[in-house]
Amino acid sequence: MAKKSVVSEAKEIQTAIEMIDLGARLQLLESETSLSRERLIKLYKELKGVSPPKGMLPFSADWFLTWQPNIHSSVFADIYHYLLTHADCRGIAAIIKSYKLYLEHCQMSEMEPVLSLTRAWTLVRFFEGRILQTASCTQCGGHFVVHTHDLYSRYVCGLCHTPSRAGKTNKSRVAALTSIAATSPAAPIAS
Amino acid sequence: MKANELTMEIKELNLTYLMLAQQMVRADKDMAIFRLGISKDIAEILAVLTPGQILKLANSNMMLCRIRFDDNLVLGMLANYGKEKTMMQSHAAILLAGQPVEEIS
Repeated sequence: MAKKSVVSEAKEIQTAIEMIDLGARLQLLESETSLSRERLIKLYKELKGVSPPKGMLPFSADWFLTWQPNIHSSVFADIYHYLLTHADCRGIAAIIKSYKLYLEHCQMSEMEPVLSLTRAWTLVRFFEGRILQTASCTQCGGHFVVHTHDLYSRYVCGLCHTPSRAGKTNKSRVAALTSIAATSPAAPIAS
Repeated sequence: MKANELTMEIKELNLTYLMLAQQMVRADKDMAIFRLGISKDIAEILAVLTPGQILKLANSNMMLCRIRFDDNLVLGMLANYGKEKTMMQSHAAILLAGQPVEEIS
């Protein structure tokens, strides 16, 4: 076995710190760096102040196809593919960079980032394992995440053809109700 | 706006654009390639331009940056602030990321 280089180890720790800051789970760190599990746990505790969460990673490929996650993961996937085709970065570096650009996009358009770094990494692995791929919408021409073996010759994306209850999650309903309550003080109760 | 006022404005914008673009490429080349929508070759040229060269390039009566939403749809999407504003922006981002880069021909 080759002797461990201190410089490359320092670089790996730097990448691990960056990933932990972006919210990576321990399994992701273990598979993308060659640092030992003990060191990673120590690093995680030092940065976050708590032990890393236990349990399995989210593994469902269908999550990426539901309406809101599909839009978010398509934004990420398109940035990632752009970087792969036009820039020099590969592997985890490309994932981290595209994820940062995705977070920036969420911040600019004032929406909650639905996709976590761990999910983004899972998405890339699904692309590599040919479980998911992107298909272009016949109306707008944008590329969206789809199942590999689906029929998409006449595919229309969730944004050109929004389903009727799209985006109406419990959280957004509560937010809407509180904003209504704030603007009209107790008028309907009086009648 | 008089003609020479216009050229002054263009010159200033060119200079600002080139300086910002160079700064972006030097800070993080891959991210700059995405943000600016340019090819790797152009990014490499931008990174090595000297201040003198930037000044000479900027001193022109033609704009050096170009509008990226030549597609009707992207324009419509950016301009259309309807009920789902945030999703409009995501749609625009997806379409922009799918567009070809500016390359040296």
